[in-house]
Amino acid sequence: MAKRVLYVEDDRDIGRWVKEDLERRGYVVDWLISGDGAVERAREADLIVLDVMLPGLDGFTVGKRLKKEAPNAPILMLSARTSMDDKLQGLGFADDYLTKPFHPDELAARLEVLLRRHGMAADRQIECGHLLIRPELQTVTDSLTGEEIPLTAKQLQILMYFLRNRGLILTKEQIYEAVWGEPYLEGDKTVNVHIRYLRERIERDPGNPQIIETIRGIGYRVR
Amino acid sequence: MNAGRGSGKRRFSLRNSLMTKYLLIVLSAMVLLPFALVLVSAATVFQTWTGHRETTEPYRSSSHLEEIWHREAAKLANASPGQIDAELRRLKDAYPKASLFWVDGSGTTRLQLPEGQDLPANWTASYTVQFMKNSSYSRIYTVVAFLGDKPGNDRGFMVFKVPREAFESTAAAIDARQGTIFVSGILLVLGLFLFVSLLFFYRIRRRLVQLQNAMTAPSETGIPAPVETARSDEIGRLEQSFNVMVRKLERSREREAEEEALRRDLIARLSHDLRTPLTAIRGHAYGLGEEAISDKGRESLRLIDRKIEFLGTLIDNLLSFTLLSSGKYPYHPRRIDIVRMARTQLAGWYPAFEQAGFEIDSDLPEEPVYWEADPQWLERVVDNYLQNVLRHAKAGRYVALKVSAENGGSIVIEDRGPGMTGESEEKGAGIGLSIASLMLKDMRLRSEVRTGPEGTTVVIRPA
Repeated sequence: MAKRVLYVEDDRDIGRWVKEDLERRGYVVDWLISGDGAVERAREADLIVLDVMLPGLDGFTVGKRLKKEAPNAPILMLSARTSMDDKLQGLGFADDYLTKPFHPDELAARLEVLLRRHGMAADRQIECGHLLIRPELQTVTDSLTGEEIPLTAKQLQILMYFLRNRGLILTKEQIYEAVWGEPYLEGDKTVNVHIRYLRERIERDPGNPQIIETIRGIGYRVR
Repeated sequence: MNAGRGSGKRRFSLRNSLMTKYLLIVLSAMVLLPFALVLVSAATVFQTWTGHRETTEPYRSSSHLEEIWHREAAKLANASPGQIDAELRRLKDAYPKASLFWVDGSGTTRLQLPEGQDLPANWTASYTVQFMKNSSYSRIYTVVAFLGDKPGNDRGFMVFKVPREAFESTAAAIDARQGTIFVSGILLVLGLFLFVSLLFFYRIRRRLVQLQNAMTAPSETGIPAPVETARSDEIGRLEQSFNVMVRKLERSREREAEEEALRRDLIARLSHDLRTPLTAIRGHAYGLGEEAISDKGRESLRLIDRKIEFLGTLIDNLLSFTLLSSGKYPYHPRRIDIVRMARTQLAGWYPAFEQAGFEIDSDLPEEPVYWEADPQWLERVVDNYLQNVLRHAKAGRYVALKVSAENGGSIVIEDRGPGMTGESEEKGAGIGLSIASLMLKDMRLRSEVRTGPEGTTVVIRPA
């Protein structure tokens, strides 16, 4: 099913081009010239792409309203403003921030990441190597044997965090703070230990892990 | 309209002048001095007339003594010789310096006080005349009075002799005392004058010091606060001028801030307005790449895309540099663990380097290393160097990010590229390096760059 993108952009050149590009990539694009009426359309959208400098209401205000109205749709701010304050302000409510001039491939890649991160509940199942994960059922099965792999709550949380950030390298600090929800303490081996146990459960050869990749000295990655 | 200008160069006014004030003080001292002399003299005279009339100063003056002697003699008109003796003894007690004697009607010398005054027992007419004659020119002052104070009754006479020095020393004593009073009176006036002058200059000094303090007092804006002007004399006008200057400074500071804000706004708008068409160009170039075109055309499109990306970075740098150099780039320093920061950053850059075929090395200690810095700034600086490695050191296919805890900690970025002097496309990233060095300087850090054909090493460490 095609994903619906609500796209608010006042520049017609860019608007037309992005609309065409995204449509070519299989999205249904609802393009508005201004923020007027965006709130009403936001409920039908799976994804919102918002320009910061809009005539009338500025993008930040519109974005905050949209987030309130449609909290499930991730928002990507598209802006020609690059100052750090703008970025921080944007990320106060938006899920991602992309500055102009952006490459169409980068926009598409970021939209995919956003959809994956937010749309997981909607996805019936995620494939990752030989694993088959059903987020709403909180189950992980081995697609080769068809057997369910029993995981502890923390192990499952770590795996889901990796899946939400597929392709990204996550440091032990990031993993700890995302999963445990507490500031990371220096020298804490908890993450390493949990990942070792997790690998013993999900990897076919824990000595040569294929799912969770170790990036020496930096962190881990699930592709 | 002239009011404001007039206050600056107001004409000399007598009424509100410190000079007038001081002249008044000098003048009053000059007037007071003769007045004080008169006053002191009056006081002396007054004292002479009232106080020590007979008791302490019996030898005040010859005429005074003469008068007393005649009065005493008059009282003794009908006294017996015994009464006269008693009276003379009493007078001798009163005037111990004097020699007294009396001669009765028959010319016989009677009581002498003290004894042995070398007098004849009987006074002949010729001796009497001789005595009178001698006494006139003698150093001894002599008063002769007939008993009953009348020459005709023939009851005799009484004589009072006192050395003239007695009067002179008394007069000198009186003179000396008057002199003391006189001198102390002048000293008092002079002292008063000095005191008032001192007070006058002390107050001037205090006001000047206050003004000086107001000028040097530190304030948040760096512009001193206006002072209160209570008077309109020279210093008061100086204070007013100072306040005018402060207000002018404040206004110019405001104007400067406004212009600065205007310039910042302009550059922010410009950067936005440049980005929008650039985005469209990039989009259309991309669209063109989707069409069937030759390899050469495709190569051109790739170049266009790279240049657009580079232009975007330049615009960003221009804005950042403007904000940074005017101190408006948000700066929030705090204690950060640079090991963790470096790890997170390398994790972010990893895919990009991996895609470009780099060998990625890292050497991060287990223990945290803390710096006092703005994490956003430091990230941007390190990003800048990593970006340069990705852009200019592709040939080396090697990047390393290391953190060392030694000597206050350091961040090291290494590559094996052709070095910064070597040829590389997309030169002119100088502004990015300027931003990096400005940021490092503000965070009290510095970077050392060692570059050569074998590669480049950048070390960031506390300055």
